[in-house]
Amino acid sequence: MASLKAYIATRALMVLPTVIILLTLVFFILRILPGDPIASLVGQKVPPEVLEKLREEAGLNKPIIVQYGEYLYNIFHGDFGRSMIWGKRPVISEIMDRFPATVELTIFGFIFSVLIGIITGSIAAFRRGSKLDASMRVYSIIAYSLFIPWFGMVLQMIFGVYLQAFPIGGRISPGVEPEKITGLYVLDSLISLNFEALSSSFLHLLLPSITLGIVLSGAYTRLVRNNLIDVLSQDYITAYRSRGVKNSKIAIHAMKNAFIPVITLMGLQFAILLAGAVLTETTFSWPGMGTFLLERIQYRDYTSVQGAIVFYALFVALISLVVDVIYALIDPRIRY
Amino acid sequence: MIGKKKVLLMVVLVAVLLFSGCAQQKEATPTPKPTEAPQATPTPTPTQTPPPPKTIVIGVTDKVTDLDPSNAYDFFTWEVMNNVMGGLYRYKPGTTELEPYLAKSYEVQEGGKVYVFHLREDLKFADGTPCKAQDVVRSIKRVMEISGDPSWLVTDFVENVEAVDDYTVKFTLSTPISYFLSLVATPPYFPAHPAYKPNEIDSDQTAGGVGPYKITKWVRDQELILEANPNFFGDSPKTEKIIIRFYQDATTLRLAIEKGEIDIAWRTLTPIDIESLKKNANLKVIEVPGAAIRYLVLNGNESTEFATKNPDVRRGIAAAIDRNDISQRVYLGTWEPLYSLVPIGMWSYKDVFKQKYGDGNIELAKEYLAKAGYDENNKLKLELWWTPTHYGDTEKDLAQVIKEQLENTGVIEVELKSAEWSTYVDYARKSAMMASFFGWYPDYIDPDDYTTPFLKSGSNRWLGYPYSDPEMDELLEKAAIAMTQEERTTYYEKVQDKLAEDSPIVPLVQGKLFVVAKKDIGGIVLDPTMLFRYYLLE
Repeated sequence: MASLKAYIATRALMVLPTVIILLTLVFFILRILPGDPIASLVGQKVPPEVLEKLREEAGLNKPIIVQYGEYLYNIFHGDFGRSMIWGKRPVISEIMDRFPATVELTIFGFIFSVLIGIITGSIAAFRRGSKLDASMRVYSIIAYSLFIPWFGMVLQMIFGVYLQAFPIGGRISPGVEPEKITGLYVLDSLISLNFEALSSSFLHLLLPSITLGIVLSGAYTRLVRNNLIDVLSQDYITAYRSRGVKNSKIAIHAMKNAFIPVITLMGLQFAILLAGAVLTETTFSWPGMGTFLLERIQYRDYTSVQGAIVFYALFVALISLVVDVIYALIDPRIRY
Repeated sequence: MIGKKKVLLMVVLVAVLLFSGCAQQKEATPTPKPTEAPQATPTPTPTQTPPPPKTIVIGVTDKVTDLDPSNAYDFFTWEVMNNVMGGLYRYKPGTTELEPYLAKSYEVQEGGKVYVFHLREDLKFADGTPCKAQDVVRSIKRVMEISGDPSWLVTDFVENVEAVDDYTVKFTLSTPISYFLSLVATPPYFPAHPAYKPNEIDSDQTAGGVGPYKITKWVRDQELILEANPNFFGDSPKTEKIIIRFYQDATTLRLAIEKGEIDIAWRTLTPIDIESLKKNANLKVIEVPGAAIRYLVLNGNESTEFATKNPDVRRGIAAAIDRNDISQRVYLGTWEPLYSLVPIGMWSYKDVFKQKYGDGNIELAKEYLAKAGYDENNKLKLELWWTPTHYGDTEKDLAQVIKEQLENTGVIEVELKSAEWSTYVDYARKSAMMASFFGWYPDYIDPDDYTTPFLKSGSNRWLGYPYSDPEMDELLEKAAIAMTQEERTTYYEKVQDKLAEDSPIVPLVQGKLFVVAKKDIGGIVLDPTMLFRYYLLE
């Protein structure tokens, strides 16, 4: 296990250059684009002298390279700076306001996508060649090509407007938020045993995470099916069968071995999941990082966009690290 | 295996029980959730439990950006501030007239240079702290010191503000202006609770000011809960509790009102949504004139190569545009034709463009363009700029329809170009666009706010088009100082005549406001100030 620790340390260090490169790109791209946060917010109304003064206060009149140096220095001291628009709040509190919402949606979306993917994939593999198999494969293609805003809206129409079963948007009914502990409403209401908040937040979460889950499940269906078929045709499975082991037991052994590539995919999908969350958040008015980033790009809120990107990068890096570790724990053949 | 199956079965059972438990709880609890309250029948059956506070849920796609009046500068946040704070004067609901609010009366001294306000003596903030002249002065000085986005509404006009005694506030202006009362009705002039940090922006402060409501809960981009302020000096609001829910886009907002998740859908649904919601038997659509205007800026900057610097080219374009067609085809009637920069419904409005050019007057357009040297063989090449998100989804249709109208003359060839908002504003300032669409929301409800920022040299630099005319400047200055509305009206009429003559800006349409509400919601009063008074809802 010592080697695993060393591996984790190396991987953690590798995150640093990734973040710096990303940050540099974002920093300069934002500034190459015409317009700036001050102009886009009050550009149409305030007198030009005031505009210049506001620019100066925001430090936008300094040479870009100086701005870049100062920004990097601050980031390494843990200071994300302040937003450049509206209340000019600290970027970190802007992010922390929204990050839990995205984590919550991502986790549930992830769970749904993996569950649906594994179930449909296994059905297809065990019933290989049947009509069921064909329909699962068709499902995976349809799911994969669904456009989130459209699909989300269809679900909203059916389950929200017609069946009145689920809320249209938002994270929770107004006024019933649980006490803030982690910021994840489902978890917080469980901890504080607030069942009204739990049911409300769960109901709000269901449609968006199913939307996200279904769209992302397509890839798993295919992968699970192919891997399972591969494993099922191997000698040791034939050996099990010849010894008269029950089908259900064989399935468990087969699934365990077919899972390793699926876990790799989970790691990769997580980044895609965050991208999908942007669309899902907009469709379901989910106050998360995706809508935040979109809004701030429109207003050229440099510091907020940069902060959000760094945050995303760290998050994705962390997840892929976790996936690699899980990998090692599940498959004893893998060593670092 | 059987053991595992049992475990699975138990898990499923527990989950089912848990869910049905939740569902039952939701249906059976005697105190319904706030969203359900308005659906209650008007004649409630007597029960032992006290009735829940009357609640109305309003959905919007806007956002509350900043709860600090020294820095907030957007339509919706100002609306919220008008419900949880208040100014010395306010707009009488349903009109654009000003009436006393926190002040009982005022006097003008030294020919409009000094304004003295006499405050009511029973003013209290929501927590019971008294609000006196010193609080008004402190709040306004705070705005001046923080110099946030809207602070120019104070600093451009006010030289000094002082408390003469506990109930008298004296403003000394840098130059006399006649429309100072309408400035005093804007949030930067509202007295704020002492809890606001003295010299920095306090974005999350919910202490508010003196208003019918107080903020009891605010979760950014999610919800805002207002409850009746027990210490308010005036009539208590008809609805004790207002919940505002924030939606990300018009589609979700529309679905939410259809589902009944909200009682009122406020800004901003698309014209198509409004048309189809009109057919919904459970909902009503209320229409009121708004004060938002849209217009086309024709760049007459002498230092550019643009053909639009020739006034005859601008006149030709003004004549070719057909506003009724725009109103119908682009906005499905949700915006109405506008023939001046001063909006319809405001005093001094004169339909100068209709009188001078008419609508879609192709012959006249050709005549003017011929004067400028353009005909079928030598077409005017016009670059028409639009921006995709800032003015909503209809913007590309607007650009397309105007392109068609101009090309119908047979002597204009239009090239459409677009840029994202922040780029667009930047191009405007740099005078890089030949013709571009813009829109205007008023800061204060006075013809001055619809003319000076566009037409007075220096004030209109944001347009990137230094329209400058000594006669126009003089008219605008005189109009700003003149003390009677009649006198001012004559000046603004002349300003509008000259606007049509020079056509640096061609007005297009004026927005109507739409509120979609459940049938049983009453007390919806709206006017061109575009401020929704939640306290009148019932």
